[in-house]
Amino acid sequence: MKRHIKEKELIKYQFNLVSETRAEEISEHLKSCAACTKLAEQLKQKFSTLDLLREDISVPDELIKETLKQAESPAKTRIIPFRMPALISAVAAALFIGLALLISDSSVNKKQRPEIAKKPTASDYENRFVENEKITRNNVEYDSKESAARKLVYSRSGQKLAASDKIRKGVIPEKPPFAPASAIELVTLPRRENVQITIYNSADLTLVRERRNLTLKKGWNWLQFMWANTLIDPTSLVLEPLEQADKIDIKQLVFPARLKDIGRWLIRSETIGQVPFEITYFTSGLDWRAFYMGTLTEDERRMRLEGYVRVGNHSGEDYENAQTRLIVGEVHLLDKIAELARRQYPYNRPGWLLSDEKSESVVGDKLLEDESQELNGVLFDMELGMLKPKEIKKEGLSEYFLYTIEGRETIPQSWGKRLISFAADDIEVDSLYKYDEEHWGPRTIRFIAFANDKKHKLGDTPIPNGDVKIYGRAGEQDYLSYVGGTNVKYIPVDEEVELNLGTAREVIVEPVLMNFETDNFTFDSNNVITGWDEVRTWKINVTNTRQLPVDVEVTRGFETSYWTLDMDGQDVSYEKHDATHARFKTKLEPRSKRSFGYTVRTYHGKRQETGKI
Amino acid sequence: METIDKKLIDAHCQGSPTAFEQIVRRYGANILGYLKRMCGSRELAEDFFQETFKRVHEKAHTFRGENFKSWLYTIATRVAINGLRQHKRLKFISLNQKAEYPNIDCEEPNTAAIIDNSNNPSDRAVVDEQKEHVRQAVKSLPDRQRATLILAYYEQLTYPQVAQVMGCSVGTVKTQMYRALKTLAQKLGEFDREAK
Repeated sequence: MKRHIKEKELIKYQFNLVSETRAEEISEHLKSCAACTKLAEQLKQKFSTLDLLREDISVPDELIKETLKQAESPAKTRIIPFRMPALISAVAAALFIGLALLISDSSVNKKQRPEIAKKPTASDYENRFVENEKITRNNVEYDSKESAARKLVYSRSGQKLAASDKIRKGVIPEKPPFAPASAIELVTLPRRENVQITIYNSADLTLVRERRNLTLKKGWNWLQFMWANTLIDPTSLVLEPLEQADKIDIKQLVFPARLKDIGRWLIRSETIGQVPFEITYFTSGLDWRAFYMGTLTEDERRMRLEGYVRVGNHSGEDYENAQTRLIVGEVHLLDKIAELARRQYPYNRPGWLLSDEKSESVVGDKLLEDESQELNGVLFDMELGMLKPKEIKKEGLSEYFLYTIEGRETIPQSWGKRLISFAADDIEVDSLYKYDEEHWGPRTIRFIAFANDKKHKLGDTPIPNGDVKIYGRAGEQDYLSYVGGTNVKYIPVDEEVELNLGTAREVIVEPVLMNFETDNFTFDSNNVITGWDEVRTWKINVTNTRQLPVDVEVTRGFETSYWTLDMDGQDVSYEKHDATHARFKTKLEPRSKRSFGYTVRTYHGKRQETGKI
Repeated sequence: METIDKKLIDAHCQGSPTAFEQIVRRYGANILGYLKRMCGSRELAEDFFQETFKRVHEKAHTFRGENFKSWLYTIATRVAINGLRQHKRLKFISLNQKAEYPNIDCEEPNTAAIIDNSNNPSDRAVVDEQKEHVRQAVKSLPDRQRATLILAYYEQLTYPQVAQVMGCSVGTVKTQMYRALKTLAQKLGEFDREAK
């Protein structure tokens, strides 16, 4: 770039008003052009005086108070003055012409006038009202002065006030009012009095039952429920009065057009005042997971097992002092509640709409931002609550199992809470080392085995699936050391469970093939081999470098179900595990080695039929 | 951040008695600063401040967007521009007005002197004069240019955010901004020459 840059462009450059490409060009030019750099510096200095107007401004408390007072005062009536005399003249002329036409029109015979559909005027309403009044006069006594005043009001606002008038007299109009498009004349939901949440973990489904006290007026009431930024399924909303149900009729739930995340219930009430209601709905975003901590005694024969439940809330809603219930078991759902919650008005099936990633992020990530700012108070409550461990009550429920957490829990949005589910001491466990090449390769795997039954001080309830971490006590000071971890599946009552703790390094199993030969060939009439035996002699070396005695189980596969096996000694026995496998069990003293051998003969071809099986 | 605003607005719409106060406290300083720069007078800015939040209070239920800050600045801008137009028609004389600044219906010049760290009275006088000149230069800009400059430069809104507040395209915002800067460059240059 040879030409100098104009001042105009330098100003634009300094305030990011040029395109990126142009900005780069100018930047390059300034590196090599002293004159332009000087001009840019001058401009920079000139505009730096703008910073003199920067200052820290604080809002005095008096101003805030005054602002709040002003804001809450009723809006003033605005008087719009006519400023244009020409307009006044035009209006006057139009009125004059209109009046002249009206006079001429009234002289025409009414029978000859064509019928014209017209909008009812205020005077029409007034006439209709007078007719209605004549009908109701027989039933209802009313003051004549009041009637005159009402008539005046009615003439302005039409049928609506007549309806409220009837209600005041104890007669509820049959026809409900039209759903209001604005929030005027709406009852919004007051705070929850009570809430119960039941979390169906397998389906990302939570049933919420809330109790709220609503104040109703006699007649028709519109009640508004909003669920913006939550994962509530709007079509699952159910409202029921808990008292005076015979006097309250829930007519319908509508989703007003153009208003997102809002539902309005139409309630016909024959009573006035506060009535407790229960609102039930499904939401997603709440979950729970179980996890367990096992602590082995030093001899690894007994274990203390503690079960925990962690409840998490990413539903977009805070649940304060909620009774929390957890369901173990699979629930069949046609649609995912999270998808149902993301539907747009008028809340059809989720498949009708594109997935809304934005709304997901609003509910998920974005809401995490405010947790520290908004929930400090709740956190404090949570910490106090954690001081006393809560008991989890368990009971069967059809195909599911229901855990109810004792007392009430506050589970704010984006927070999780860990609760103790159960704790059992001195559970007898079998510590076992297994070797099975086909499953785990040439490695020894360590297992802890116990059963969910009374003998093992468990068996009250099924154990939900979850992560297990096993720790061992060691040394005189009972230091804990991490032994291994795994994930357990759902364990029904009286079922045995084996916890795979991973590869064992201190117990080693080494199979060695000592001999291989073929034998007993059979031939057909053409001297072609039709059958034979394979004889393998194995030596299994087992080493225990631990300071504890161990049980070792070695599983060997033969790839055929036609086999016979002879042990080389009498001290180790085997059992046929399945058609193709044999299982050897042995015990090893602390820091000891042991070897045992076996010879396996497998039969192939015609020998499968004739050989000894 | 936006979620908190939305929650506060929702809470206010649902009748929370404290939500609106939190909104005022949260954005009060920003809006007051903006209005003060827009109209050049603390007194007038406080009036517009009250009017702005009164409108927020009344219109909260109509807020549908994601960006509450932009919405708030939009209201404040409308209040300021309409208010200033009306103010130009009806000239008020402030009882607090300083006699030595008869042409300035605005600022407390001494406030600036207190903020300034310079102890030398002559230096302070120079800074005060300079500041007054900048204030006058900004004040002389047409309403929309001034609003654009203040939103983008002092309130540090991005150009798309300014466009949202002003209800126009980003291109228009950039044009307004450039025109404002060009005028300021000229006016500030004149002052420099006079000073020399």
